[in-house]
Amino acid sequence: MTAKVAGAVLRSPCDGQWAAEPGLGVYIHIPFCRHRCHYCDFNTYEGLDGLHDSYVDALIRTIEAARCERPAGSVFIGGGTPTLLSPVQLGRIIDAVATSVGIDEGAEVTVEANPETVHAAYFEALAEAGVNRVSIGIQSLAPHVLDGLGRTHSVHRALEAITQAQAVGAFEVNADLIYGSPWERPQDWQRTLEGILTLGVDHISAYALTIEEATPLATLVRTGRVPDVDPDIQVDRHAVAEQLLGAAGYLRYEVSNWCRPGRASTHNLCYWSAGDYLGFGAGAHGHLGGRRYWNLRLPRDFIAAAEAGDVEAGHESVDDRQAEALMLGLRLSSGIRMADFEDRFGSLEERRPAIEALLAEGSLTQADAWLRISPTRTMVANDVIARLI
Amino acid sequence: MDLAHQRAIAVIAHIDHGKSTLSDRLLQLTGTVSERDMREQYLDSMDLERERGITIKAAAVRMEYKAADGEVYEINLIDTPGHVDFGYEVSRSLAACDGVLLLVDAAQGIEAQTLTNLYLAVDAGLEVIPVLNKIDLPAAQPEKYAEEIAQLIGCDPNEIHRISAKTGEGVAALLEDIVNRIPTPKGDPEAPLRALVFDSTYDAYRGVIAYIRVIDGSLRKGDPILLMATEVEVDADEIGVMAPMAKPTQVLETGEVGYLIAGIKDVSEAKVGDTVTHRGKQQAPEPLPGYREPKPMVFAGIYPIDGDDFPELRDALDKLELNDAALVFEPESSTALGFGFRCGFLGLLHMEIVRERLEREFNLTLIATAPSVGYEIELEGGSKRVVRNPTDMPDPSNIVEVQEPYVSVMVVTPSEFTGTVMQLCQERRGELKEMHYLSPERVEIRYHMPLGEIIFDFFDQLKSGTKGYASLDYEPVGLKPSQLVKVDVLLNGQPVDAFSTIVHRDKAYGYGKNMTERLRKLIPRQMFDVPIQAAIGSRVIARETVKAKRKDVIAKCYGGDVTRKRKLLEKQKEGKKRMKQIGAVEVPQTAFIEALRVDADSAGSKT
Repeated sequence: MTAKVAGAVLRSPCDGQWAAEPGLGVYIHIPFCRHRCHYCDFNTYEGLDGLHDSYVDALIRTIEAARCERPAGSVFIGGGTPTLLSPVQLGRIIDAVATSVGIDEGAEVTVEANPETVHAAYFEALAEAGVNRVSIGIQSLAPHVLDGLGRTHSVHRALEAITQAQAVGAFEVNADLIYGSPWERPQDWQRTLEGILTLGVDHISAYALTIEEATPLATLVRTGRVPDVDPDIQVDRHAVAEQLLGAAGYLRYEVSNWCRPGRASTHNLCYWSAGDYLGFGAGAHGHLGGRRYWNLRLPRDFIAAAEAGDVEAGHESVDDRQAEALMLGLRLSSGIRMADFEDRFGSLEERRPAIEALLAEGSLTQADAWLRISPTRTMVANDVIARLI
Repeated sequence: MDLAHQRAIAVIAHIDHGKSTLSDRLLQLTGTVSERDMREQYLDSMDLERERGITIKAAAVRMEYKAADGEVYEINLIDTPGHVDFGYEVSRSLAACDGVLLLVDAAQGIEAQTLTNLYLAVDAGLEVIPVLNKIDLPAAQPEKYAEEIAQLIGCDPNEIHRISAKTGEGVAALLEDIVNRIPTPKGDPEAPLRALVFDSTYDAYRGVIAYIRVIDGSLRKGDPILLMATEVEVDADEIGVMAPMAKPTQVLETGEVGYLIAGIKDVSEAKVGDTVTHRGKQQAPEPLPGYREPKPMVFAGIYPIDGDDFPELRDALDKLELNDAALVFEPESSTALGFGFRCGFLGLLHMEIVRERLEREFNLTLIATAPSVGYEIELEGGSKRVVRNPTDMPDPSNIVEVQEPYVSVMVVTPSEFTGTVMQLCQERRGELKEMHYLSPERVEIRYHMPLGEIIFDFFDQLKSGTKGYASLDYEPVGLKPSQLVKVDVLLNGQPVDAFSTIVHRDKAYGYGKNMTERLRKLIPRQMFDVPIQAAIGSRVIARETVKAKRKDVIAKCYGGDVTRKRKLLEKQKEGKKRMKQIGAVEVPQTAFIEALRVDADSAGSKT
C-alpha cells in the first residue's frame, strides 16, 4: 500500500521477538467514552465531553514537563476512546511528545479507534497528525455478540471503519477482537475471523473475554442472568484463531496477538520486553528502570493536579524485576533470549532447578539460547510462570 | 427440715414447652427470687442454653412455700436436661426426685423426648402431676391434649392442671398440689450417709461443684467423704443449698438437696450417678443403684481449620473436659486435615454443643469429619476390637463379623406424616417395633435402627418431612451384626483419610457416588486428569474425573496491568505453597473442608 497522505511516515518493521534493547514507549490515556461497554474495567468515563479541551491542555502540560534522555520508539494513544477527541487535538498531543520527549524516525504511532467515532476524513486527518497505526475495536462480527458486550456499533460500521482506515494508505491496521463470550456460538467466532481476514488487516489482537470485577457484566454473571464464560470453550476458540490466522499467513507472536510478518506492535513489544515507557494522562501507568508509577485516575483530579504540576498518584519499585520480566517475556512466542535477559536482569541461576523441571516436563523449550513456553502450554502459561517466579 | 415438709420434684417437658418460664414463676410465687431480681429464665445460666432454648446442665433450687394449711414446705426443684443425648442424666435427676411435673404445651401436645422421660419417671415409680401450659395461647387446645395425657398416664382429664406459666394463671393451685400429692422422701435418717450426685459443674475458682440429694443419713460440713464409683476421697469443705444463689449451710439432712464443694479437680471425679458416703466406719455398705459410666456413642475428628490453632484446640478440650465427664478425646492426624482430635460424644446434640462451645468460648474455627459410631469387629482368630475411626478398619479379609450399635428410635408425629416417617426409617434400615396412637391425630412410632443411620441428617430430614411437627428420641439397645464395609475415597490413586467411612453394603455405592461427585466439583483442575474413586478394598465402586486444566493464562497484559497481573501470579504461587499435596495432586485445604461441610449425607439417600 502506498502512502497517499504527505506527512505520514511508515514505521520500521517489527518482528515481534523479545527485544534486548526495547525502545522507549509513550502511553497516553484518553479516559472518555460515549458508552461504556459491559465488560470494561478500564479507567474511562461517560458524559465528560465538556472536559475534553481542558483535559488535552492538562495532558500537554504534563508532556511538556517530562524530561527524558532518549526519544520514543513508540507512541500509543489509548483509552477510553481517543477518537472522541478531534484529529487536531490528537495532533497537538503527538506534537507535544515530539517536542519534549522526541519521536524516533520510523517510530510507531498508534491511536485506538472506535468504529462509531471515525470516518474517512477523520482517518485522513489522523495520518496528517503523524499517526501511522490504528487499532480499531471490532470485537465481533456477530450482531448478538456485539449486543451482549454492550457495543453500540453495527457490524457494517466496524467493517467500514477498517476499509476507511486502509483506504488512507498511511496506516497499519489492527483489529481488536474478543472471543469466548457467553453469547458467542462457534460459527460466530469463525465468521468473525473470516470476515476480518477478507479485509487483510496487518495485525489482530484477539482476547478471551475476562469477566472483571465491578463491571456490569460481572453483576449479570453473579446474578445468573448471563452464563459465566467457559474456559474450555475459550481454549477451543483460541485454537480456531490459531488455525485460521496461521493458514492466512499471520504469526502469533504473543498469547493474544497475531500479525503479518514484520507488523508486530513495537509498543506492545516494549511492554513484554520489560522496557521503559512513560505514562501520560489520567490513570496512566509508566515504568522507568524498575520504578512503576501511576497517575491520578479521575479526569477532574488529573486536570487540577496538572495545573499544580504533579499528577502522580503512586509508585512502587519492583523488588523482583527478574520475576516481572519473566512473566512478561514468556508471553511472547519467541520467549526470552537468555544471555540478553541475564545481562539486563541478572543471572537465572537461582531459578535453574525450576527451569530444568519445566524443561523436563515439556512446559518450557530451550533452543538457540531462547527460552520459551512450549506452544502447547501457551494457554496454561500462568501455571508455568507461577512455578518459575 | 423434717421429712414431712420436704418435696423434691423435676419438670419433664419438651424444648419450648415452658419449663424455664414455669421455674421462674415458681421462684417468684414462693418469694425465692424477688421481683426486682427476676431475670427471665433464671435457671438457664449459659448463653448457649439461652439461645437454643434448652437446658444442658441441671441445677437445683430450694424454695420455701407457705401452703394453704399454714405450714412451710421446702420444695426442691431439680432441673433436667431436655434432650435426647442426656437420657442417663435425666434418669439420675429423676432418681433424686419424689415426683415430677409433666409439663405439656397445650398447643402442641406431648413430644417424643417428653414421652421417653415420662416413661422413665413412671418406671421409677414417681408420682406424676400432669400440667398443660400456655393455655393463654389462641392456638391452645387443652381439652384435646388433656385427653391424650389422660390416656397415657391413666388419669381423669379434669385432674390435669391448666396453667399459663407466662401469666401465672393456675400456678398457685399447682404449688398446692405439689405439696399435697408429691410423696415425702423415703430415706432413712439413721442409716449411713448416701447422697446421689445428680449433676456436677466445674467452676474456675471453686473447682467442681457437685449437686447432690441426701438419700440416707446426713452430711455435715467438713465431713471426710468418699465418692464410691470413682473412689475419690475428699472432705466436704463447703455444703449448702441453692436459693437460688449458693447459701452455705452446716448440714444437709436426709431428703435435702444441695451442693457440695470438696476440692474435686474435674467433673470426671464427681460423675453423675455416683454416691457420696462417709469415709471409714460410717461408710455405706452399698452405693445407690443406677450408676453408669458415661459412654460415648458418636465419634468424629475435630480439626482446627488453621493448623496453627492445634495447641489452642488441645487447651480448649482440656478445659471443656473439666466440666464434661462424657467428653473423651485423643489426638489424631489426617493427611487431608492435619492435626486434630478424635472425640467421643454422647450423641449428636452433645457433639454440636461441644463444637459450638469450642468455637464460641475459645474462638476457634473448626471442621469436623463425618461422625461415626463404634463398631465391634471380630477378627480371624477370635479377637475383637472396637473401631471408632474408619481408617482403623482392618482389612476385610481379616474380618469375621462386624457389629454395630442399634438404637430404639421413638418418633411422635401427627398421623398424616406416618407414611413419610416410616419411609424415612425404612430407608435407613429401620425395623418397625411399635406403633401407638396417642390420639386419632397423633401417633408414636418406634423403630430399631442402626445408630450410624441417624447420626447424619436423620433429624433434619425427619423435621423437613413432617413440616417440623415430628419429635425424636432414641436410646441404645445394643449391638447387632451388619453387612458393613469401609469405603475409601482415592484421589489420583491415593486414599484421602478424612473421607473414608463405614457404611452398610447397600449404601456404599450411594456414598461413593455422592462423595466423588462432590469432590469433583471442589478439587481444582490440575495440569493432568485426576481420577477420584470410591473403593471397597481394591474394588472401585464409583469414579469421577477432574479434567485437566486447559486454560490458565492472562488474556491481556499491557503497561497498566503489569503490577496487578504480577500480584495475581504471586498469589497463585503462594496459593500453590499452601496446597495440600496428595500424591501429585495439589488440593487447597478448603476443598476438603467444603466437602465435609456440606451436610455430609453419606448414605446418599437424598442428594
